[in-house]
Amino acid sequence: MRHDLSQINIEIECTYMTKGAVMPFCKGCGHTHILRKLDEALIKLNLNPHDVCLVTDIGCIGLADYLFDKVHTVHTTHGRSTAFATGIALADKVLSTKNLKTIVLIGDGGAMIGLLHIVNAALLNTDVTVIVANNFLFGMTGGQQSSFSPLEFITQTSPYGNIIPPLDLCKVAMSSKAQFVARKISTDKDLVDVFADAISYDGFSIVEVLELCTEYAVEKNKLTGKDLQRIAEEHDHHLGILENRKTRSEFSLEYSEKILSNKKTLDLFNNFINAENLEIDFTKKFGKEKLEIIIAGSAGEKVQSSAAILCQVAAQSGFFITQKNDNPVTQGSGFSLSEVIISSEEIFYTGVDNPFAFIIVSSDALNEIISQRLFEKVNKNTIIIYDESLEIPIKTEKMYSLPLRRVCSPNKAALGGIDVLLNLTEPFPLQLFYSEIEKRFGKYDALYKDNLIKILTEKSTK
Amino acid sequence: MTNNQRKIKLRNGNQMIAEGAIYAGCKFFAGYPITPASGIYKGMIDMLPHVGGLAIPAPDEISAIAYCVGASMRGIKSMTATSGPGWSLMVETVQYALITETPLVIAMVQRLGPATGGATQGAQGDILFSEFITSGGYTIPVLYPSNPKECFELTVKAFNWSEKFRIPVVILTDKEIGMTTETVDYTGLKNLTVIDRNTISANSTESNNWQMYEFKSLSDVPRFAPVGGKFKVTATGSAHNKNGELKKNDPETISVLIHLEEKINGHLEEFVDLILDEDKDAKTLIISFGITAKTMKEVIKISRRNNNKVSGLTIRALYPIPESQLKEISKPYERIIIPEENLSGQYRKLVHHLFEGKEVIGINKIGSMINPNEILEKIL
Repeated sequence: MRHDLSQINIEIECTYMTKGAVMPFCKGCGHTHILRKLDEALIKLNLNPHDVCLVTDIGCIGLADYLFDKVHTVHTTHGRSTAFATGIALADKVLSTKNLKTIVLIGDGGAMIGLLHIVNAALLNTDVTVIVANNFLFGMTGGQQSSFSPLEFITQTSPYGNIIPPLDLCKVAMSSKAQFVARKISTDKDLVDVFADAISYDGFSIVEVLELCTEYAVEKNKLTGKDLQRIAEEHDHHLGILENRKTRSEFSLEYSEKILSNKKTLDLFNNFINAENLEIDFTKKFGKEKLEIIIAGSAGEKVQSSAAILCQVAAQSGFFITQKNDNPVTQGSGFSLSEVIISSEEIFYTGVDNPFAFIIVSSDALNEIISQRLFEKVNKNTIIIYDESLEIPIKTEKMYSLPLRRVCSPNKAALGGIDVLLNLTEPFPLQLFYSEIEKRFGKYDALYKDNLIKILTEKSTK
Repeated sequence: MTNNQRKIKLRNGNQMIAEGAIYAGCKFFAGYPITPASGIYKGMIDMLPHVGGLAIPAPDEISAIAYCVGASMRGIKSMTATSGPGWSLMVETVQYALITETPLVIAMVQRLGPATGGATQGAQGDILFSEFITSGGYTIPVLYPSNPKECFELTVKAFNWSEKFRIPVVILTDKEIGMTTETVDYTGLKNLTVIDRNTISANSTESNNWQMYEFKSLSDVPRFAPVGGKFKVTATGSAHNKNGELKKNDPETISVLIHLEEKINGHLEEFVDLILDEDKDAKTLIISFGITAKTMKEVIKISRRNNNKVSGLTIRALYPIPESQLKEISKPYERIIIPEENLSGQYRKLVHHLFEGKEVIGINKIGSMINPNEILEKIL
């Protein structure tokens, strides 16, 4: 968005910097160059000051805020400036008026702390410009070495010369798919233009600017500004505009095109369960006011979603339900277990103390039930429906060994077990269960290879 | 009321926090998956695009919360969600939101600690950790729902507090509330009030005397101006004056630091959320929150069925601690029972001094939910 100078409510000499501001930096410090050139770049771009946000990091370069008294400034915690800027830019471009140019000012220390934030801003390709003031050390805290210190560099914490190679941040940015990447020297004549190009780039851009800390680097290392190019070359850190392409769209364009285009109506207060008021009395029917059912199998075998079908049908029948799931840390291996409670009164405590039934369809499940000592809660009336392959270590008066895995397939074994339980006990009309099954899987006949109930009846007549 | 008169869905606490956030007008969510909080992230990914919002995957929890703070500074209601390990990483940025007076809601679903702990096991071990995370000891309001419906209600309230007072607010739950599906009756949820931050009007002509953190009384809440708007924002994580400028040894800067706490101290009544189930003749009062409040309700039901007297208090806003209310409510009782699913009775230790002359009993354990019988046997 361009503006006539006349429309901009800034001082006559058209600077984004505070009039008469005194630079807080040491004499000869590269930061002064960088900030003056940033000001010139903003002037060149002719941006409305309200459309610019400077996000500054901790360290000397982070003192820049008060030098820019017309643009928005956000001074952040150490290393996090790029992350805050990403949030600002995402919100502006996707959810707001898309007017902002968000510029991060960060040192080499902050860049390393927040490397992840730079990488992810680049991957997102959100409209943030990161200017890295790289003076190879931590100036504000006394000149300690940083992850950007050249080899053999003498600092307060590398008195014998640095032995750890410096990071090539521009390469990191390029491998993070950044499409505007430059490494410059603070005294470069074209720095204003490079800043202006980076800021006007619609997407992520990064400019690493090499400079010397006059207080801590110059004397100890016998350097002048002329050595910066040599230092970069010695480490194979290329100078200049290293990348300037536009094959990726800025994040908000991708988001609108590929995500927001799927927009549908969302009504939180719709699609309630059509609950029947059947007034079934569990106490009369089963001698207990709530049915506690443990359904257990192996991960990936639809145990919890089968339990959810039972809950859905119970809710349609007018009952309160709770479904408490348990599985190991991994989602796709080991046991999977659901504790379902069905009650005609509101359920408070969601633990199982007095199980009505167990449905156990795999050895993972059986081992877990044993290890959780759930069988200790069983009484003689507890129904245990289990796969024929399992050896159950306890006995009740209602044990049902069935070919659940073989007849139903492992993925429907739990559902088969629920089917059997409902047929045995009929806590609510079976028809509701079968119509829910048909809604989800098509015809009931196609669900299992054989009729479980028939098998059950045949077994009991034998 | 029978179920066919209710507006029923089957939902868990995580889903209801996401729905509550949508209802409250949250338009930005940055997430990083963590059991048992991932359901909130998934809910926001599924819903936000349909209200024109943005739910974005972050590469870590530090990025997630910083994205949210940035978005909120741009004027957008924002939320993230995590559990203990992620909360550890977010602590720095929660403080940044506090000092910059940026509204923010963080849902924190507890699991068994410490460190990586037990990812799929419930606990109430972060009662202290959710609150005492600021250098300087500032109050962060913490709401703690005890069922999925309250997850919705209290998420709306968390946004309202955060917007009204320009503060970070935590909605604390646990694995059992977050991941257990229940019959949820939506009756009443549609009528909850939604509050938006007091933003200085873009048409205001007062640009010359605009002050970033303007207050007369220390407890006043300054008007908000978004980054990118007409009024220049000066935000910093450093101690600052009313203009938002870093200043040292400056009385105005100290007054701003006091103001950050006074915003809450000066409005303590508004931060009280208690539900008392009172039996006038009872000698015992049970005080609980979250999953343990559900167990408490079961205990009350069983007790009263057996003609035993007991009262129960559910604390839905843990912090700021409702000290005068707890003192007043506890007066008629001889015994106070505070069950918590942690080792040391974290909340009990904070409120114990309010119950002078009474017997205060903690019921504490980890590894599984507290059973109603463990509480029942302690009732007078």
